[in-house]
Amino acid sequence: MELRKTTVHQTVEAVLEGEITAHQLIEKTIKNCSVLNEGLNIFTSIAGVDALEQAKAVDRKIKNGEKPPLAGIPVAVKDDLCYGVLPTGLGSAAFNEFMSPVTAAVVERLMDAGAVVIGKTNLDDMGQGSTTLSSPTGSTVNPWQAGRTAGSAGAAAVATGICMLAVESDSGGALRQGASHCGVVGLRPTTGRISRYGLNAHCSSFARVGVTAFSSENISGILDLVSGFDQRDAATAVCREGISEIIKTPGSEDMTIGYPVTAFDHLEPDLREIFEQVRDQLSSRGYRIKEIDLGLLREGLQAYYVLALTEASSNHARFDGIRFGKGRETDSLEEMYRQSRSEILGKEARRRSIFGTFLLSKGNYDRYYRQALKIWKLVRQHFEAAFNECDLLMLPVAKNLPRPLKGESSYLDQWSDDLFCAPVSLSGMPSLCAPAGQIDQLPIGMQLVGPPFSEKTLLAVGSTSGPRDMGESPLSQ
Amino acid sequence: MKYEVVIGLEVHVELLTECKLFCSCPNRFASEPNVNTCPVCLGFPGAMPQMNRESLQQALTASVALNCEVALYSYFDRKNYFYPDMPKGYQISQYYIPLGSKGFLEIEDDQGSLKKVGIGRVHMEEDAGKLVHEAGGEAAARSSMVDYNRAGVPLIEIVTEPDLRSSEEARRYLEKLKSIMQYAGVSDCKMEEGSLRCDANVSLRIPGDQAFGIKTELKNMNSFRAVEKSLDHEIKRQVEILNSGEKVATQTLRWDEDKQETIVMRVKLEADDYRCFADPELAPIELTAEEVEQALQNLPEMAEERAHRFVEEYGLPEYDAGVLTASRCMADYFESCLTLYNKPKEVSNWVMGEFSAHLKNAGLEADQAFFRPEDMAELLKMIDEQVISGKIAKKVLDKAFESGKKPRQVVEEEGLLQISDQSELEAIVDQVIAENPDTVESYRGGKSKALGHMVGQVMKATRGKANPQLVNELLVKKIDG
Amino acid sequence: MDNVTDGLEKAIKAIKIGVSSTEQEQLYLELEEFLAWLDPLLEVDTAETGQLLFGHDAVNVLKGDYPRQSDLAELQEAAPNFAGGFYLVPKVME
Repeated sequence: MELRKTTVHQTVEAVLEGEITAHQLIEKTIKNCSVLNEGLNIFTSIAGVDALEQAKAVDRKIKNGEKPPLAGIPVAVKDDLCYGVLPTGLGSAAFNEFMSPVTAAVVERLMDAGAVVIGKTNLDDMGQGSTTLSSPTGSTVNPWQAGRTAGSAGAAAVATGICMLAVESDSGGALRQGASHCGVVGLRPTTGRISRYGLNAHCSSFARVGVTAFSSENISGILDLVSGFDQRDAATAVCREGISEIIKTPGSEDMTIGYPVTAFDHLEPDLREIFEQVRDQLSSRGYRIKEIDLGLLREGLQAYYVLALTEASSNHARFDGIRFGKGRETDSLEEMYRQSRSEILGKEARRRSIFGTFLLSKGNYDRYYRQALKIWKLVRQHFEAAFNECDLLMLPVAKNLPRPLKGESSYLDQWSDDLFCAPVSLSGMPSLCAPAGQIDQLPIGMQLVGPPFSEKTLLAVGSTSGPRDMGESPLSQ
Repeated sequence: MKYEVVIGLEVHVELLTECKLFCSCPNRFASEPNVNTCPVCLGFPGAMPQMNRESLQQALTASVALNCEVALYSYFDRKNYFYPDMPKGYQISQYYIPLGSKGFLEIEDDQGSLKKVGIGRVHMEEDAGKLVHEAGGEAAARSSMVDYNRAGVPLIEIVTEPDLRSSEEARRYLEKLKSIMQYAGVSDCKMEEGSLRCDANVSLRIPGDQAFGIKTELKNMNSFRAVEKSLDHEIKRQVEILNSGEKVATQTLRWDEDKQETIVMRVKLEADDYRCFADPELAPIELTAEEVEQALQNLPEMAEERAHRFVEEYGLPEYDAGVLTASRCMADYFESCLTLYNKPKEVSNWVMGEFSAHLKNAGLEADQAFFRPEDMAELLKMIDEQVISGKIAKKVLDKAFESGKKPRQVVEEEGLLQISDQSELEAIVDQVIAENPDTVESYRGGKSKALGHMVGQVMKATRGKANPQLVNELLVKKIDG
Repeated sequence: MDNVTDGLEKAIKAIKIGVSSTEQEQLYLELEEFLAWLDPLLEVDTAETGQLLFGHDAVNVLKGDYPRQSDLAELQEAAPNFAGGFYLVPKVME
């Protein structure tokens, strides 16, 4: 069974019907995973025996007449999501042996449904970035072109066919840019839809747990399984009385897609052309295209960084070397803090915490932090206004092609890559990244953004837009 | 020069919830370190805070009990600073919008008239853990030990306006605050155990000045007495500084109970920058005006009301009512006794007298004593039933209070049963009459006091066990013949 | 000392991260660059705009008052320096 060519639904059917046992499926997956991981550096740890045990347990359940809805489905979990069975690395050199007492809510839900965790996927320094370039264990190679980053390792795990699903965090756009760079589909859900309990968020206001898969259908099938109220994440309280979903079916309903013209001006012509083609295809498939105004993208990006950095400085203050992580034995408390923290936080994380502290300090607080809170509100209002004119809107995902693995790019250039993703994060609205086309074989994704709880509409539209099949990524064999 | 003393108090009070403020760890004393801990209160990556409903309820009760305006919208901020007892590198607290504000509490001022002490804010926050510095041992020489049992325990911080004008007023304020918190049922306010903690700001100024003088902060006062003493000490120190023409330095001082003096903790160069911002992991708190009104309606009876009721309902003197209601647990104790033994004044005498004296000696509150209301009732019933005399009853209470034994058991074990056997007493009475002819004569001469003397002799001979009434009767019968 | 140098130094001290002097010099240049990058943000007129404080719309998410004990061994194993029931830190002078 080739995972890339079947759907989650078909695979579960095959396992439930006994065509293949969960154990056989996972055994094969792990073998494949070990081989591919050598060259691509996707995983920080691979489950091995534990995954096989889990698979056996799923097979036993099936024997007992149960029908786990994700029976045997191999899943990759980003390494900022805690999982008690494998080390939780967090993107820190000091946490490579850390066994977390916490298991993330989303992982629990997937496992309850019969999914099997194959491994933890690589990430930037303390989860801060959309490239994996700052990972303490080296960056993840893009399966489409060896010289470039994958953006997110979870996307690479799916693109290579190792796993059928990846659960990943997305604050400023890591999940979406990974999906874009690897030619797969990634969903950043509405605020509060999926519990973040167990996620080591660097920026709690914007961090979401999302799902990456090979197709929109695969995400549709599992979205409800991982959604809903969880006492442990206050934001999910919006789901307590059930979600009022916006569900529209392409073709059967009149649908308007907003096209923020000026947003695409930020792109190089060859990239812009791809989106214009998609726009025209959507139009020819019966969608109404409406040009809209969506201002403050650049300022939204800047506000995102002010807020992300300030929150990171506080969120990462818990890493003091006393209760977890590798601590340093020193003579003075002050030295213990300084040494432990500079070891736990890498260069990028140090930069962000220090800048965040600067921005929150007296004198800078009103100038930067409060202004960012206001821009946050304005950006959200802009998006809300846009959805008075359209059902959903399309935006680019990445400003550039995936960054080269070698060669210096400045931290600020990398932050600027989030130009189209960060403002969407500020809006709190769901965003689906789906393939839009290719340049020199490298996949390019687009964002479909909708009003709160319109995920099912986005997934439905996502499955009919863009190229049918981009072929197989060259590095996935 | 005569100065005006200006004092403001910041009091932290631990709430009486089952759980900590943001996790399910028990909020209770543990003899072992770090047993009441979990991923949330230890700040583990991925663990998120979950607000405890009861803490909000109690904080709301405290706010209305202190006559505060209650914020219908408030939320938690993070106060960012590092210290080993602070697991997350920040304390979750209400910095920008306190739950309660603009409240007051009434005390007697130094002139004996009623005075309102303004309460600037009442806000919720989590407690920190504790650092233990144990003397001795090789590890202890190099290390401090951290216990996080207290980390995350729900607190309210109650900050007064700079309205207090003497150390005595400060003590009266604390006593009143403690009474209100106890009556409201939100805290046991045991300063010695740390469930009430107090910091003070002190400054002096020339009477009539509008501006405040330079203030110092006092910490580490472990009893109301220590608060009063350290304030006196600090006021004296500041007077001396000002009189010598110097300026008071902005400082934080620590009260040293052993040396009975204040010690400088650190010189404040600039105000700490806590970089407070709304905690994005928690949801804001919204209350309705109805909920606040409800909290006000549901306030339990406070000390004054209860004292008033004790006078009306039980016919107690005002003095008794005041003493009995000084603490809620004392008043509760009194009323529990009454449900079993319905003679208010008798109970009042015993509770205010012997029982309170024992509590004071043992340093206990009424609810901590082994001697429970049912024991008090039993004791008083034994007096009524003439099983023991009142005098013996005091002895029984002594023994029972210390040993935790039931009063009846004490009476039996100690052989304190009252002698009401007529023939046994007659022999003694006869002997006393024979030995005191002069006294008998003066009694016959009309001096009734003389009879009392003879009763005393009989009691002495029976080591207090004789039934005094019976002795009386026997004496009168024998002498008057 | 200019504001950025001073502010950077204070921030490094406050957040208790050890950085080499080389890194600090580099951070200084980067911070200046970053602040310049933020200029457009400051130019937006927000005089009439309220602020957002939360990324979610939930309110009053409260849980019941039912205590529970955690698995302590699991928690304490993660500590680098734990003995006799305590977390150990270098001697703190008070």
